[in-house]
Amino acid sequence: MKLAGNDILIQSLIEEGVEYIFGYPGGASLHIYDAIFNQKEMQHILVRHEQGATHAADGYARATGKPGVVMLTSGPGATNAITGIATAFMDSIPMIVISGQVQSHLIGTDAFQETDMIGVSRPIVKHSFTVDHQSNIAKIIKEAFYIATSGRQGPVVIDVPKDLTNPVDLFEYKYPSEVNIRSYNPPIEPEQSQIDRAVEAIIKSKQTVIYAGGGTISSNAAKELFELNSYINAPITNTLMGLGVYPASDKNFLGMLGMHGTYQANMAMHNADLIIAIGARFDDRITNTPEKFAPNAQIIHFDVDHSSVSKIIEADIAVFGQVKNSLQAMNAKLKSRLSEINDSRLDAWRNQIAEWKEMHGLDHDLYKNNSDDSPILPQAVVQHIYHASNGDAFVTSDVGQHQMFAAQYYHFDEPRKWINSGGLGTMGFGLPAAMGVKLAYPEEEVICITGEGSIQMCIQELSTCTQYKLPIKIFNINNLALGMVKQWQDMNYDGRHSSISYEDSLPDFTKLVESYGHVGIKITKNSQLKAGIEEAMSIKDKLVFVDIYVDPNEHVYPMLVAPDGSLKDMWLGKGEKT
Amino acid sequence: MIEERQLTLIMENKPGALVRVVGLFHQRGYNIESLHVEPINDFKPYKFIEDELNTKFSEGEISRLEIKTTVDDPLMRQILRQINKLIDVIAVSGNEGTYLKGVLRDENLL
Ligand SMILES: Cc1ncc(C[n+]2csc(CCOP(=O)(O)OP(=O)(O)O)c2C)c(N)n1
Ligand SMILES: [Mg+2]
Repeated sequence: MKLAGNDILIQSLIEEGVEYIFGYPGGASLHIYDAIFNQKEMQHILVRHEQGATHAADGYARATGKPGVVMLTSGPGATNAITGIATAFMDSIPMIVISGQVQSHLIGTDAFQETDMIGVSRPIVKHSFTVDHQSNIAKIIKEAFYIATSGRQGPVVIDVPKDLTNPVDLFEYKYPSEVNIRSYNPPIEPEQSQIDRAVEAIIKSKQTVIYAGGGTISSNAAKELFELNSYINAPITNTLMGLGVYPASDKNFLGMLGMHGTYQANMAMHNADLIIAIGARFDDRITNTPEKFAPNAQIIHFDVDHSSVSKIIEADIAVFGQVKNSLQAMNAKLKSRLSEINDSRLDAWRNQIAEWKEMHGLDHDLYKNNSDDSPILPQAVVQHIYHASNGDAFVTSDVGQHQMFAAQYYHFDEPRKWINSGGLGTMGFGLPAAMGVKLAYPEEEVICITGEGSIQMCIQELSTCTQYKLPIKIFNINNLALGMVKQWQDMNYDGRHSSISYEDSLPDFTKLVESYGHVGIKITKNSQLKAGIEEAMSIKDKLVFVDIYVDPNEHVYPMLVAPDGSLKDMWLGKGEKT
Repeated sequence: MIEERQLTLIMENKPGALVRVVGLFHQRGYNIESLHVEPINDFKPYKFIEDELNTKFSEGEISRLEIKTTVDDPLMRQILRQINKLIDVIAVSGNEGTYLKGVLRDENLL
């Protein structure tokens, strides 16, 4: 079959099973948009800003496990997408970003809307391609999808000069059935010798803790993880990126660890004799001062990426491979040695952890106070949302205090339901990400927990939600300030609040969303909170924006003491340290 | 220990491959003392790579890159592993040994 470059590109995407393209057109992508117009298999979602396109594609990818697809024009279209590509890169999210480019013969001449997209995006992509000829388009798309979705996943950029998508010149098209990149062989199966050593260490340990992160979700290994812990029955914590990969309602679950992790999770990590790290990368928000990290622990590290292992914390036993395959191998081995795993080996340890939890665990009953004598607590807002949504909604968030409260107080029992920008910490992520999730799962409840600062970074997407009828629920935890920055200024700069407030210039959010055709609900008093949130959840066919005025002085605790602290050094409240 | 070290890479001879490697040094603020890259014409020394990857190199397809740099051991190891992750890199040798097919060998094979 002979096709023009623009049709080859679009047919290749269809061949890859793409449902949605998130994008914004322009001069360099006009030919491509004509090919989009001429097909029915995929829907193009016209966002209002290219950052929104990347976050929407990203949300779609996180929720489904399938790569999100973004279509951009050259120059400003491409550069507008950079934040979203970096966001996906930091969290290892599969994404295909196609950027139009000026015509081949104009490249390097400072042509109108020319940006070196490959150069600009180089440090924040897993790989990138420049299309050099129409006859290579199909192969490049095939390779791009393979690279984005295998090994440690990530975004791939494909830059397409306009002349190579012209509708006139026709080329032979056949979508490749196989892909083989000789220089790229991500590990899949683990080495059995390392599995044996890991099992040995587990049997001997008396103070085990499992620390599972986002890589466990990417690898679709929640089931295998649960099975593993059915054999070893150990306390388990999840990173911010890993929440949901192990059921929060399970008795072994300690909550999140790290900067704003629970007391018991951080204490367990610090005092462990064995840490089983699974698809997690010892980020600085997890380790606190690396030299003081878990002084007595042996480390088993499961990862698909060599460069993540022994990067920050030296691993004693390293298991390279797809996390899913590695855990399957572990489970087989553990099963064969079940009689040697003495459950009481961890008894004293479990008691110790229960004591820690009893002493300084989070209070999950704050929502029960509905007296107007006290201001609305942001923690209680999340607790209400959790109960009103039966704990099984998809929850996206932005970045700040509200994000941490959401992570601490919404209990996720399933993977891929908690969708947030952990690695890059991108304000503006929540709303467009929720759009991507809602498009993927129109029947499911999709909630965005945001702050009045973050929501304004991609607020233009409220219009996209109107156009495509996306009835998501947005809960704006409004503390009238850049709360997380304010908290650091309170704690480290004697309360000098430098450039964190805009109280008198905030819009009336309810009126704003109403002008887009959505429903706005304003809550200012504790006594209105429960009913207001339940009302929002009861509206099924409309986007509802709930603007909730919370105590502006609240801080997120626990909080690791930094710099120079270890995981056992935490602030537990204002002026209260471990 | 900080001392001058050499890294050797075999990579696809494609536009953009070199700058990805160099970028890893630049990002960390490390200087490259010397750099030499050229396409390989004699594949005999690399037959073990061909065997391993079940591939055949042909004229102009792959390049050999040598970099001298001054970094300490842990950083060198990290850079080596990140270079190994680059899609266009076929093999890389340095202080840790040689990465081939993403797997580390004890010896410096390049
Ligand atoms: C794009 C971007 N700019 C700046 C920051 C730094 N930052 C982190 S949290 C935060 C405050 C967020 O305010 P808001 O959305 O109102 O959330 P709150 O902390 O008040 O709950 C800022 C400015 C960021 N994470 N992302
Ligand atoms: Mg705020």
